[in-house]
Formats: sequence, structure tokens, C-alpha cells
Amino acid sequence: MAFELSLFNVALTERQAAGEVLKCNELTARFGLELTEKQALALVATRSFALKKNGRIEFGGGIIDKMIREFCDSPYLSAHDYEETLHDLLETFYLYKNETLDLISDDDLIRYMKNAFDAICQGSVELLSERELYRLARNLRRGYDYDYSYADEGFAEDEENEYEGY
Amino acid sequence: MNMKDIENIVKIKKETLSSEHYFKSLLEQAYSAGILSDTQLEKIQFDCLALLAKQTNKFNSGDSSSIRIEKAQELLDSIMFTIGVWMKTYSNPDDSLEDLQKNGVSAVYEKGLERTELLIKSAKTLHFSIMRNLLKTDNVFYSSTIVDGIKGFFKLYYPEFAAQEIHITADYPVYHPVEGLLGIEFIRKYLECIYYENLFCTQFPAEHVHNLLSSFDEHYEQLLLNIYEPVLSAAMGCVLSGGDVRKLKMTSSSIMILKDLFSGKDRTAMMEILKGAADKLGVQMILPEHLMNYIYGSLPYIAMSVENAVRLKTMDKVFILPKYPENDIKIIYSPVEKLDDEEYRKVVEEIMQCRYFEDKKALIRSKIRSLEDLEDILLDAELKEEEILSILKELPPAEIAVLVQKHLMLSAEERYDLRESEIVLHDSLKKFMSSFPEKQQDLIKKAAAALDISYV
Repeated sequence: MAFELSLFNVALTERQAAGEVLKCNELTARFGLELTEKQALALVATRSFALKKNGRIEFGGGIIDKMIREFCDSPYLSAHDYEETLHDLLETFYLYKNETLDLISDDDLIRYMKNAFDAICQGSVELLSERELYRLARNLRRGYDYDYSYADEGFAEDEENEYEGY
Repeated sequence: MNMKDIENIVKIKKETLSSEHYFKSLLEQAYSAGILSDTQLEKIQFDCLALLAKQTNKFNSGDSSSIRIEKAQELLDSIMFTIGVWMKTYSNPDDSLEDLQKNGVSAVYEKGLERTELLIKSAKTLHFSIMRNLLKTDNVFYSSTIVDGIKGFFKLYYPEFAAQEIHITADYPVYHPVEGLLGIEFIRKYLECIYYENLFCTQFPAEHVHNLLSSFDEHYEQLLLNIYEPVLSAAMGCVLSGGDVRKLKMTSSSIMILKDLFSGKDRTAMMEILKGAADKLGVQMILPEHLMNYIYGSLPYIAMSVENAVRLKTMDKVFILPKYPENDIKIIYSPVEKLDDEEYRKVVEEIMQCRYFEDKKALIRSKIRSLEDLEDILLDAELKEEEILSILKELPPAEIAVLVQKHLMLSAEERYDLRESEIVLHDSLKKFMSSFPEKQQDLIKKAAAALDISYV
């Protein structure tokens, strides 16, 4: 008999999480955004996949409902890409929980993602992940402010670029 | 046998459980013995999961709902260790299981946490009393582990999230090895051993312990060795052979007496002799009862060493005779003044420009007045091995001894760090020494070992 983390049954928590996701429809309906039960379960599956991929474990409902509540009023979300964007945002979120060494709270990271998504990234999850969150993670690891920019000090934005040409 | 007796039969034997992973092994045994059903086991697992979720939330200060798997596993291990700490307090494991089922995982965990705090307090008290009466020894590992290492443990130990961690390496080896324990349980047991060993060693003046350890190894200060073992063996040896116990002083005839005493005896007979000696030692030195119990516990280890010593005829390695390094003959060597740098540089350049070795030699003879300058020349003038050998042949034995001490008697680390020119000089000296008869080589080496070079 093994007494390891992997032994704990997660099916129950997944069903609970899907229920909490569906409850968000009440809030998002006024923005024309709604999820079916199938879509909610798919999001929970993505969360599980992202957690596993990033070597993490989550207790309770998780962050899907928090993500939906934060992003539902974004001008860059529409009914046709709502579910797909949420999948991408979820994967990005867990990746950067690791990359930031857990130095930022869930709420702060979601808020930062939302602000960047709506402003400088203009709805692009790719830009959000590859540029804004990359910079955030680097700044946090080095003990700088979230928005610290190397360009302000006249350094190259990407440290690898500093050695280009050598 | 009535019904009450049948109920009292213990289903799980405590000695079959793992002391390291007590709770886990208890559940395993209970499940396989049929004491816990599938449902009951599942409930305990879910309760642990709920507790883990609570602890994770606490660990993240409520900032994050997820956590890295490795960290979660550590938290779970800590929970299980803490529960185990409480469950170990029951002499009957069945009762501890009943407590768990009756009061739930969370309540037992809280009790375990309280018990851990008590263990920390008692370990700190023990540490304090050891520090108050710590044996004065030059052995670096003794104080670095007992003083700094243990202090480091108390600083880093956090029972709420990592109760099973030891954090330090506890380098100094105790005579009764501490195995199968984790976290504060390990440190508590380790300190207990240190307490008894330190208490015993401090019964003797520190200088006598030093003399004994110097005999064990001249550089015992840097050795990772247990101090209690040679001290206890020597004290027992003194009791058995009529030596001076307080001074831990046996004579060479003592070794002969001990050889005669132990040869031809089996382990049981040896144990009896040693037990008798321990009793006498206890009476003679008025040792407290708890220390005597620790000494009795050490006897099987000593008996094993004595048995091997009888077989290998190495009794003098178990019962060590003290050595007095301060009484060794010392030869003081005071180097004379060297050439000033500018002048020396010129000489080196001139030597290097010479085409023939005879010219180099003539220059050295005329310009070099001290052994230190000659040593520098041997290193700096890029001389070949045969040239160095030729120069060495002209030196008196006393100067060879100085060079041998500086360039041949090196530690492994020093040998590893040698420059190229130093390697050439080292090899040349080695070759030069091997050209002497063995007796002469020994004399030079002895003189080199006794040399005390005093730089003014």
C-alpha cells in the first residue's frame, strides 16, 4: 500500500470545480459569454493537464472561476473564442506560477495578466506569455518590481541579445 | 483464558513497525491484518488530504491555491511524521489506531505537533547541559557539530511544514549509531548519545584525552573520529591491567597483560570480563547510573573490537597507549636573510643565460649564501632534473632535511596544488632520497619531521 500523493482520487474535486465554473455563467452572460457543461469539464481537464505538466498540485476549486471573473469584461473576448482563450490562459497561468517561483499570489498574477492582455498585448495570449509574463518572471526572480524594464537603464531588453555578434 | 484476555491480544507488534515511517507502516500492517477496512483506510487518506490542503493553504499564506508536487509531498511527509510522533507514545499500536479512528487525523496531528514541541524543548535543554560542560578538545568536528551544527538545526527546524527534516549532516560520529529516526527524534537521540559520551570523557583531564588521541593519530584534530571509544577502551584497559585510570595511562606491559587476558576467550567470556571492568570503573570513578547504562550498551562494540584484535594481533590499536607529542625532540631551524629582490632577479637571469651547467653551478656557489635563496633558485631557474640532483649532492644532510620537510612531506591537498617547477623539485628530491640506503633515508625523514622552522 503506497501512501503517496498520486493515490488521492481527484475525480471528485474535478466535478466540484466544473460546477463552480458553470456558476460563473450567471455573471458572464451579460457580456455574451457562456460555457456549456462539456466546455466547463474540458477547462477542468486542461487545468489538470497544465498542473501535471508543470509538476503542481491544486486543492479546492482552483483558479478557473477566478480567471473567468477577472477576464469576462475584456473587450478582446467574444463568444467564439472565449473557451479557447480560457484554455490558453490557464496553461499560461500555471507555467508562470513555476517561472515566478511562486513569488506572486494567484490574484496578483491573474490581475497582471488581465491588465497586460487588455492593454499592451491587445488580446494576444502569445504576446502575454512570451513577452509580458516572461519579463515579469525575470523581474521577480531578480527581486525587481513587476514592471521593471531594462530599457529604462539603457540595457538590452533580453540579456541574451547583449552578447549578439560575439 | 477468558474473553477479556482474548480482546487484549495485541494485533500489531510495535517492534515490527518502521521507526522512520511509523504512521505509514502502522497503516500498512493494520490494513494487511484486517484491522482497517478499505473504507476506513480511504477515510484516513482523505482526512490526510484535507489536512494537506489546509497545510498547503497555510504554507502559501492563502496566496496560492496550487503548489509544486515536491513541496506538497514534503508537507504530506511532515504531516505523517508528526502523526507518527504522537502514535509512538502508545506502547500498544492498536490503541494508537483506535485514537486515530476515534478522534480523527486532524486531532492526532495537533497532538503530534504538541509532542514535537516538547521534544524540541527537551533537546534544547540537553544541548544546553552539554555545552555547559563540553570536553575541551582540538578535534574540529567535535565542536563544529555539537556547538554550531546543532545550533543550526534549531534555527532551521520548522515542525509545522518540515517536521521530518534533519537539515544538518551531524558529522561527528557517536559510538551508538543513531539509525531509523528523522527530524527532532533523530536530533534528540543524537544529543542523548553525545551527552553520555561527553559526560564520560569529561571525567578525565582534557590533556590526558589529548595525549591518548595524539597516539591514535598525530593529526587527530582533523580526523572524523569518535573520541569516546578510545577513552572508554583505555579506561577499561587501565582497570584490567592495573594502569592509572585517571591519566588513561597504560604501559607496554599492559598490552601484554590484556593479550593474555583475552586470547582464547569467546565473545561471551570477553563480555563478562569487560562487564566486570565496567563495574569497577563505575565504582572507582563514581559514575552515575544512567552513564553506566550507556557504558554497558557500549560493551558489545568493544568486545567485537577486542575479538578482532585478538585474531589480528592488534591489541595495541584497541587499547591505546598515550603519546606525549610535547616531549618529542624538536630541532629549531632559523632561516638566514635572503638576497634582496633586485639582486636575486639578476642572479636568476644570469643563471638562465648560462649555456653550461658548470657555469650555472659556479654562479650559484659564488652568489648564493642561504638555503632559502638556493631553494628559490631550484624553483625559478628552470633547472633540469639532473642539474637539481647534482646541486643536491653538494648539500649537507641538515639542509636536505629542511628541503625534504618543505617539499616532500606534503599533504594530499598540497601535492595536488603544486606548480610545475615544484613538481620537478619534488620528483628530484624523491629520486635523490631513494639513492640513500634505507637507514639514512629514515634518519633524514626523522630529522625533517622534528624540524621546527621559525621564520623571524
